[in-house]
Amino acid sequence: MHHDNGIWVSTEDLMRDESFLQAAEKEFSVENLDQTDGKWETNRRDFLKLLGFGLGAATVAASCEIPVKKAIPYVSKPDEIVPGVANYFASSFVNGGDYCAVLVKTREGRPIKIEGNTLSSVTKGGTSARAQASVLSLYDTRRIQHPGAVKEGNVNKMEWNALDREVKSKLSAGGNIRLITQTIISPTAKKALAEFTTKYPTARVVTYDPVSSAALLAANEQSFGARVIPNFKFGEADVIVSFGADFLGTWISPVEYAREYAKNRKIRGAKGAKMSRHYQVESHMSLTGSNADNRILIKPSETGAAIVALYNELTGNSGGPKLSNEKSAAAIKKMAQDLANHKGKSLVVSGSNNVMEQLYVNEINRMLGNLNTTIDFNAVSYQRQGDEREMMRLIDEMNAGQVSVAIVWGANPAWDLPNAAKFKEAFAKVGTRISFNGIIDETTAECTHSAPAHHILESWGDAEPKAGHLSLIQPTIAPLFKTRQAEHTLLEWADSPNLNRQDEQPYYQYLKSHWTSDLFSRQTKYSTAAAFWDMSLHDGVLEFPATEVGAVMNEVSLNPDAVTKPSGSELEISFYETVNIGGGQYAHNPWLQEMPDPVTRTVWGNYLSIPVEWDGVNEINGWKGLNDGDNVEVEINGQKLACTVVRTFGQPAGTVAIALGGGRESGGCGVGYGVYVNPVLPVEGGLIQYFAGNVKVSDKVGADKHFPSVQFHHTMGVQAMGKDEGKVINVDEKTLGWKGFQGALTDRSIIFHTHVNELPKFAEKMEAFHEEAEHLNVQTLYPDRTDFFGTGVKWGMYVDMNACVGCGACQVACVSENNVPVVGKKEVHRHHEMTWLRIDRYFYGDFENPKVVYQPMMCQHCDNAPCENVCPVNATNHSMEGINQMAYNRCIGTRYCANNCPYKVRRFNWLDYTTADVWPANEEKVFRLEGDDKPFLADNLVRMVLNPDVTVRTRGVIEKCTFCIQRIQEGKLTAKREGRAIMDNDVRTACQTACPTGAIVFGNLNNPDSEVSKLTKANAPIAYKVLEEINVRPGVSYSAKVNNSNEELYS
Amino acid sequence: MLLKRICWVIVLAITATISLTAAPNVEEGKNLFIANCAACHNKNMKDNLTGPALGGMEERWSAYPRKDLYAWIRNSQALIATGHPYANELWGKWKPVLMNNFTGLTDDQIEGIILYVNQEYNKKPGGAGGTTPTDVATTEKKSGTPWLFVGLAVILGLLAFALMRIINNLANITRVQAGQAPVQKTLVQTLTSKGAIAFLVFALTLIFGYKTVDNATNMGRQQNYQPDQPIAFSHKIHAGVNKIDCQYCHDSARRSKHSSIPGTNTCMNCHAAVKKGTITGTSEITKIFASIGFDPIQSKYIADYEYWSEKQIEDLYKKWIGQEYMAANNLTSMDENGRMTVANQWEGIVKALKNDSNGKIQGPIEWVRIHNLPDHAYFNHSQHVAVGQVACQKCHGPVEQMEVVYQYSTLGMGWCINCHRETEVKFKDNPYYDQYERYHNELKDGTREKVTVEDIGGLECQKCHY
Repeated sequence: MHHDNGIWVSTEDLMRDESFLQAAEKEFSVENLDQTDGKWETNRRDFLKLLGFGLGAATVAASCEIPVKKAIPYVSKPDEIVPGVANYFASSFVNGGDYCAVLVKTREGRPIKIEGNTLSSVTKGGTSARAQASVLSLYDTRRIQHPGAVKEGNVNKMEWNALDREVKSKLSAGGNIRLITQTIISPTAKKALAEFTTKYPTARVVTYDPVSSAALLAANEQSFGARVIPNFKFGEADVIVSFGADFLGTWISPVEYAREYAKNRKIRGAKGAKMSRHYQVESHMSLTGSNADNRILIKPSETGAAIVALYNELTGNSGGPKLSNEKSAAAIKKMAQDLANHKGKSLVVSGSNNVMEQLYVNEINRMLGNLNTTIDFNAVSYQRQGDEREMMRLIDEMNAGQVSVAIVWGANPAWDLPNAAKFKEAFAKVGTRISFNGIIDETTAECTHSAPAHHILESWGDAEPKAGHLSLIQPTIAPLFKTRQAEHTLLEWADSPNLNRQDEQPYYQYLKSHWTSDLFSRQTKYSTAAAFWDMSLHDGVLEFPATEVGAVMNEVSLNPDAVTKPSGSELEISFYETVNIGGGQYAHNPWLQEMPDPVTRTVWGNYLSIPVEWDGVNEINGWKGLNDGDNVEVEINGQKLACTVVRTFGQPAGTVAIALGGGRESGGCGVGYGVYVNPVLPVEGGLIQYFAGNVKVSDKVGADKHFPSVQFHHTMGVQAMGKDEGKVINVDEKTLGWKGFQGALTDRSIIFHTHVNELPKFAEKMEAFHEEAEHLNVQTLYPDRTDFFGTGVKWGMYVDMNACVGCGACQVACVSENNVPVVGKKEVHRHHEMTWLRIDRYFYGDFENPKVVYQPMMCQHCDNAPCENVCPVNATNHSMEGINQMAYNRCIGTRYCANNCPYKVRRFNWLDYTTADVWPANEEKVFRLEGDDKPFLADNLVRMVLNPDVTVRTRGVIEKCTFCIQRIQEGKLTAKREGRAIMDNDVRTACQTACPTGAIVFGNLNNPDSEVSKLTKANAPIAYKVLEEINVRPGVSYSAKVNNSNEELYS
Repeated sequence: MLLKRICWVIVLAITATISLTAAPNVEEGKNLFIANCAACHNKNMKDNLTGPALGGMEERWSAYPRKDLYAWIRNSQALIATGHPYANELWGKWKPVLMNNFTGLTDDQIEGIILYVNQEYNKKPGGAGGTTPTDVATTEKKSGTPWLFVGLAVILGLLAFALMRIINNLANITRVQAGQAPVQKTLVQTLTSKGAIAFLVFALTLIFGYKTVDNATNMGRQQNYQPDQPIAFSHKIHAGVNKIDCQYCHDSARRSKHSSIPGTNTCMNCHAAVKKGTITGTSEITKIFASIGFDPIQSKYIADYEYWSEKQIEDLYKKWIGQEYMAANNLTSMDENGRMTVANQWEGIVKALKNDSNGKIQGPIEWVRIHNLPDHAYFNHSQHVAVGQVACQKCHGPVEQMEVVYQYSTLGMGWCINCHRETEVKFKDNPYYDQYERYHNELKDGTREKVTVEDIGGLECQKCHY
């Protein structure tokens, strides 16, 4: 079986299955609506009735008085606020060890958008989906609004001083005090904690991370004498090997690593191109694995065996566990050769949570001469500090009745520990249990008191993600509720003399004094403390020059028997953290829930990835004949989970995988979606293992009738066997091909890919393709519009698919910037997701071990747009700046445009998702949080997140990417006002600024000096337009995907 | 082409000649009067306003050389300072009201104004009276159009009737020729005939449709909307008489899309000193004090004003109003009228500041918003004010003459579009527009006369809707 262009998205696609035809037809079918709207039929009489009512209503409405609107100015207008103009504040996004230096965009004092802070040398202006979405969690209706006593999952209101009195009396009663935290990267918070533990000597801080890196820290302590994470320089390495570490998606500092990684992946021109080579040794296809040049498939319990195999190959040793897959074992040998050829220019990392495995990795890096080249200790990372073994000890302590006060700060052990049930049991034995968490999560529900902390956007604070790289957190809105800074609460309880309680913001003073005393003296740039503070706050970051620390490795004895022994069982399962909801700590954010998982493309929950099976000829099926959306029962070491399956390419035979973070039980929108898997995580030597052997999966026991996978939605260029045609057709062109009017184009140019060594030859091929496309394109009746676009600005975009890692930050940024509604699981199931920007995931290469291309797909702003000439009311048309415009108030919802869009980027408001409409009946079926009587976006608190510069669309209109027209307008106006030519930096789209790797570039194509023009030109001929041959003349160019795979790996 | 250019040259030459040989001119005088004088001097030239009535000023100044009158108009205070007797007499009568300086006016322009003043002064009372000629023109246009149509309709109706009769008669003639009896339709029969009913239905549908569309277009439009405001703020006094720049208060107009209403603190920039209005006395300005918490007696802000009870506020401002009343009337103790004034003014303060959304006196003043753009339309003040350098009056009308502001324009889309079609872009002075090379070339080689907003995409949907 061979696929025409070597690209596929799923088994149906590969087998040209009929279900694809159905999926494509479903996109805008009324049949789809029938699933919930039983009474959708309209006959002539109904029509007349409605017409009559409409006329009547219009008459009544016309005679109504226009409501009186008020204009309420400030009493004392703050100098820095100009109504209608956004202010940006430098701050940081911090959640446990997750960190991003950000700028917070506020309008009239209300944060609405997160941008990256380019001054930070850690994240360099990049952001993550999690950081982008953090602004929505500020306006979470489930936030605790005041301190109080917790009773049956409710917080009974108390005043802060009453709570303080009560807690202080308990604290000073003399028993053991334990603080349970996630990683804390704030130096000032640590200072506050130190004050607290000094005041109460019986207090101890117990830190663990929701997804553990404890083994890595422990191994580094043994190898390098410091319990830290070294500075990994992915940008300096020519060969990168990762044993299951998802460093582009979730591991330690993905935003930083992704930017570094992409540096060596971008192609500039076909001549002399060079790129790094990336091997990923893993089981489940992680985001990082999907970007790798070569994946070496192993069973999850064989990570240790694989590491030892590499070590043995490099040293000539033998011994240790063996890999079950011989192909993989052979591949590791070749990989070792590649590593050995790149001494000092390679990097090996591992995500495993076994200390010996991590010790082996350290030794491998030392042998390869990577210490002080690609791995150094000049700026170590503090982004993971936790150790779950401490938690295990704490549970014993609590069980023994040795703890009298427990304070939970940010952590959620009653949910994310594998032995959460045991924790709860032990926790109940603690007399006073206090939570600082902002929502009533599983742990807070078990507490006696709630002392809710501010949201990060309401807080003061600082962060030191890496040694010498500090950044500040400043509030961008006054606290919405009666919450209090956690550090303030601790200092208050510690009766700190350094906390000025008379001050309006005591912790601000505390923070400032820490900075102006401790940090001021360490720098030389500013001569006064005031200037130092003001400028640090303005920049958001403060960086000290790196001090050279020559890493010296201790002699550590390696024992191949201490690595994980392969389970030997027929079926194994791995558990992984997702880019969006992490280990579950982000599960209550609807934007993140509705962001598709990059690889499985599912939303709202976690799904069991099962392998696909190829019979070697024509058939590709889900393992055990299972289909997407089928329910199965999974038995892991005797515990049962009810899962829904999704067939996943690249999932090795004999393995399955499921994400962490599903099935939250309390606290917000994540409740009720997905499977709670944490209780089945095995614990080895106190360390949580993210895989298990001895797994049984039942046959199909049912199906999820709202299985929400966007895989089959908005497809383009997908081929299937046409029933009526009796031949292979393009499913999107079904209507065209239907009566044989036009032969469907079956070989369309959506993805081009090549090997880096083949580039010159490939460039020739592309040259020929461009010529052919141009030849086709000039055979047209459409007028040439070069002149029309030739003067002034012509907006265009360049997407580098070699830099795009598929992390989804752009998608969430787009949602945030453009008021794209959350539609919920059922609506996604009905193909009704509203995202303007989707990241298409395509496979190519070997069916059993495919490679992946991510293609961010948004409106292409075609100059010959097919959508424009089918609109009966001219609601969508072209601007002379090359923008395909969409006028919502003109749209009457015929959906002809969406039907005619070859890229499938237009979205229709089937329901009144944003409650922008006046008829309450329209809101009935709109997404709402569990237990809420009004739709999610009807709440005034949630609506505070809306961008006032973008229309909130109502039911019945089409919408799509606008190239962030509001930003274009703003940028142009700024240039005009300043009386100068428009520059690249004036207009940057939301997706562009969010991208951690700089994969998206936007600008003026008419200006030969703009970055977008230069890039498109430099990358010719491998830069191409999607569907270039159909003469729609898109404004977006893509670069061909280039890989640097080791072609001999499996030969 | 050449002919066209020659025409242009001639037109330009004529214009130039006209402007060079500018003599005293009533029309110019009228424009100057409206622009410079009308804010303070009554347009009927007979009654006093902020300044004296101008009618008969020539006679009053006849005892002095004409140049004294010019000097007075250009800079009245300078003339007073020279000890000019009539100037000092006037000052004695009208002080402390200051007349603005108009140093830029030429003798001819002043003569033009005087001509216009005399013309208006000598008009017979009861004529076009208070309305300006433009007003008359619009009223005439408005009332004239329907009558024209009614007349036409009547004529057409009669014509149709006559034609119908003729057709009927001709039909009868053929009938008679064919040996049939002529049919004589009664009026009722004619009116209930199929044709008549069909016509009626058609006409009604047409009228109904037209009215529906017309009403729908005007739905939500508020031209001439002139609501009462919580404070009787007079733009005429601020922008007209005192010539405060619009953007002194509406400062965000040049920076933002909104030209927002100034905060109370902006009012206080002046009103910390100007504590009483020339016309309204304490009744309006005290509202500003009560909003922000300014003690006019001690001339300082109240620190904990936020926590004051209504009683405290009432005591303070009543005291102030009373004190000023007594001072103005040279009283040593309060009289009945004074007590009423105090009570009334306090009531006014409560009414203006205390409302549903804010149950107390302190806090922002809730103005009634007059200019409401249609929904889903983006408009940016800064684009028009700072870049396009459009005068505020172009859209907002003669605000400096408005005692109470009203909506001058329709704010409808057609109105926007029309202006974008006509308005020329400030193309040459702003390097931003250098990118429009084609237009620059066309301007240079003469194939293009001007570049309008439309030419650079000013009519495109997504300039305003997104």
